Amino acid sequence: MSVVTNRALLLVAIVLAAIYLFPLYWMYLTSIKTQSAIFSVPPQFLPDTPQWGNYATIWELANIPRYMWNSLVIATGVTLITGILGAGCAYVLARYRNWWIDMALFTVLMLQVLPPSLMVTPIFVGFSWAGLLEYPRFAAVLAISAKTLPFFVILCRAAFMTVPRELEEAALVDGNSRAGAFVMIVLPLARNGILIAALIVFMQGFGEYVYSASIIAENRLQPASIGMTNYLQPNQVNWNAIMAYAATYVTPVLAAFVILQRQIVNGLTAGALK
Amino acid sequence: MRRVLQSMRDGIGFDTMLVILTLSYLLVFAGLPLIYNVVISFQTVDVFSLGTLMHPSAGVENYVDIFEDRQAETVLRNTIIFTLGSVALQFTLGFALALFFHQNFTGATWIRGLFLAGWVMPGLVVGVLWNWLLSGDFGVVNYVLDGLGLIDEPVFWRSNPETSLYSVLIANVWYGTPFNMILLAVGLSQIPEDLYEAAELDGANAFQRFWTITLPMMRATIGAVIALGTIFTLQQFDLFAAITQGGPAGSSTVAQYWSWELSFREFDFGRGAVISVLMIIVVLIVSLIYVRSTKAETQL
Amino acid sequence: MTKQIELIGIQKHYGGFHALKDIDLTIPQGQFVALVGPSGCGKSTLLRSIAGLERITSGEMRIAGVDVRDLPPRKRDLAMVFQSYALYPHMSVRDNLTYALRLKGVSKAERAKAADKVAGIIGLENLLDRKPRELSGGQRQRVAMGRAIIREPKAFLFDEPLSNLDAALRVRMRKEVRGLHERIGATSVYVTHDQIEAMTMADHVVVLQAGRIEQQGPPMELYDKPANRFVAGFIGSPAMNFVDGVVGEDGRSVTLSMPGTPVVRVATQTAPGRAVTVGLRPEHLIVGPPDADGAIQARIGAVEPTGSTTYLFTEGAPELLITTEGTARHRAGDAIGLTIAPQRVHLFDPQRGSALAP
Repeated sequence: MSVVTNRALLLVAIVLAAIYLFPLYWMYLTSIKTQSAIFSVPPQFLPDTPQWGNYATIWELANIPRYMWNSLVIATGVTLITGILGAGCAYVLARYRNWWIDMALFTVLMLQVLPPSLMVTPIFVGFSWAGLLEYPRFAAVLAISAKTLPFFVILCRAAFMTVPRELEEAALVDGNSRAGAFVMIVLPLARNGILIAALIVFMQGFGEYVYSASIIAENRLQPASIGMTNYLQPNQVNWNAIMAYAATYVTPVLAAFVILQRQIVNGLTAGALK
Repeated sequence: MRRVLQSMRDGIGFDTMLVILTLSYLLVFAGLPLIYNVVISFQTVDVFSLGTLMHPSAGVENYVDIFEDRQAETVLRNTIIFTLGSVALQFTLGFALALFFHQNFTGATWIRGLFLAGWVMPGLVVGVLWNWLLSGDFGVVNYVLDGLGLIDEPVFWRSNPETSLYSVLIANVWYGTPFNMILLAVGLSQIPEDLYEAAELDGANAFQRFWTITLPMMRATIGAVIALGTIFTLQQFDLFAAITQGGPAGSSTVAQYWSWELSFREFDFGRGAVISVLMIIVVLIVSLIYVRSTKAETQL
Repeated sequence: MTKQIELIGIQKHYGGFHALKDIDLTIPQGQFVALVGPSGCGKSTLLRSIAGLERITSGEMRIAGVDVRDLPPRKRDLAMVFQSYALYPHMSVRDNLTYALRLKGVSKAERAKAADKVAGIIGLENLLDRKPRELSGGQRQRVAMGRAIIREPKAFLFDEPLSNLDAALRVRMRKEVRGLHERIGATSVYVTHDQIEAMTMADHVVVLQAGRIEQQGPPMELYDKPANRFVAGFIGSPAMNFVDGVVGEDGRSVTLSMPGTPVVRVATQTAPGRAVTVGLRPEHLIVGPPDADGAIQARIGAVEPTGSTTYLFTEGAPELLITTEGTARHRAGDAIGLTIAPQRVHLFDPQRGSALAP
């Protein structure tokens, strides 16, 4: 490839990425504009006098700490249940090939695709009978985990497939039990893949909306996604405040993504196509 | 008992235990709801009868109600437009980007990775973001379209019943394109380079190489990507909640949103379950296609 | 000599596939046994069954007198060297070597001492703190061996441990493995598809085919007295020539079905007129002038010099392969006469393949 072509393609790529990422830029830009600047015609495309105070204001006004705490609690709960239940199952599904394993894998794949907005009706009715709605955050965690678990199993299975079987057999001959070989040899070797899958699950739990919105009625216990709609509806004109909220909410997610971009992309594609 | 414990440590019991634990959880929190869903779709379930497991029977009344509802036709049309439109655009844009970034120029992989930033964000935030971008009077999208001479007066994307569905569709295409791109890029990278070299020696031009090598070799990947795109689009809910909430006047309601509205806005869980049952059948059919196509590719 | 490993009537089925058929094998304490055969013959399955990595369907299996049929690998006290070495990539060489000791609960100080001692034996004193990925193929191979030695197990199991090494290193390691065995004196079971490895290293060679033991015995016995056509063709390199023939009137000569219908004298007395398969090892055929008395008349079709040995291929069917020492004096097209000592001619039943005893 000639230098000129290389440069030209790079330039086009940068322009495409800039167009695609413009909404994110616009979010951050709007979040630091004044109330009058967001409604200026033509719009300002560069920051003028950054209003960092918008963040402080919305932090207090929209109860962000409380909402973010609830999001963290839910995401942590989901990640724990998913990780503990999912890793072992993924390992077995990666280790063997027979009719039973194929059926289990098929079941997992099928459960992965059920839309939460459709599953929430029977889950809500069932949970209210079982009295689980008394513990709304816990109930939401249970429901969300049923959604993330199949996904996690598929991703982790791909990670376990990369661990050669002979290593485990060597450990058995060296004196490990099956459980011991799993914990001491297989888990450490599949660790990176599992951690990335867990991170993805955590991000999903952190941004979850449908189950929380349907199950958690009490404002005090709602996560940041609902907090955002709660703030959005009566304040449709305060776009700088809303964007400051959105930026506060997604910046941790985006930061994690930027740091671990390559691993996240690898983990995801391995799970989706294998 | 000792035998069982022994087997847990050393034998097949260890594997069985691990799988059974997980599958039981899934059975309780996904399998049972799936069945219960069908049951309550034949019952009258409202706020007053919520506390019980079984509710007064409604026969097929819920189903009749749904099919006779004057909203049903709009919802069906919206669901089809939204799904086909999203999948077609996500796939086309994703494939174009994947092909573009497949030319190994400096920084291609890194810049391609940036596109996934959109996709890792919570759906609700993406929705709120597009809600602002597509705002009628002060939205930046209208400003750009006006500047390009494509529109004469502002389009009220969200509040005009004619365009409300498309405002969500645009956001969904933005949200879903990166995933299509990255999966297709993986597929492209798995085609051996020497196939192209052989075709070039045989005298195929770039266009012919695309038709005779890229497309046939990508068949399984394309099938999987379209099926996955359809599944994700049928799962899409957050964008509706954040942009139009199905409105105005139900003009942008799709099936999955309608089901939720009936259950959680009108508290008519029986009718909500009817749509849920019907849509889950559609989703399961699509995923069967997906499982089949991945099976063909990787000998699942 | 005590019996260290005893296998009686071992059967192994994978679903409908019969992988091991009625295996009987007794290995005395301190013996080096090679299991050899073509790929898919069941040699690895047999080794893995001894290790406990596969469950046998039926049969008796005792190690040092203990019935191990239902014991998991960790309770069998065996050490195994894998084809891929199976070194734990997340552990240093030292930790790899002492992993089994750690599982046994040996103290850290004891483990360090054992690691140093074994490192001395295998010559890796300077590499104890490296990770496996920082080692060369030969060094990894040594670590895998060291990991087995440190255990002082009831027996060593080797699963094609040298097949990932290049040819030169393989020859050197062959000697080293054998040397180690002699120094330690432990019972060893060695799986290989390479009959030269089996012949050069083992005290006792077991030839398997399609899940069955075709023959077992000391290496030279297998070479000199193959029990059947399969073993005859498998042991020895290059492989034995096979020609159809008919036993003559006197019962001590065979007429070969090849151009010129030559007659060779044999040491085995058989029924006159009987159809047989004649086995002639390439290295036993002696090339002489074409008019020599009682020689097989042939014409050279191709010559392949390798330096130390020259391969001669005859023209026509069946093609015979002859090896001669040194550089070739012959060229393609030359007429030659081939002779062979009667006691070196092998006879097999053409249907069953079994050897006709001399």
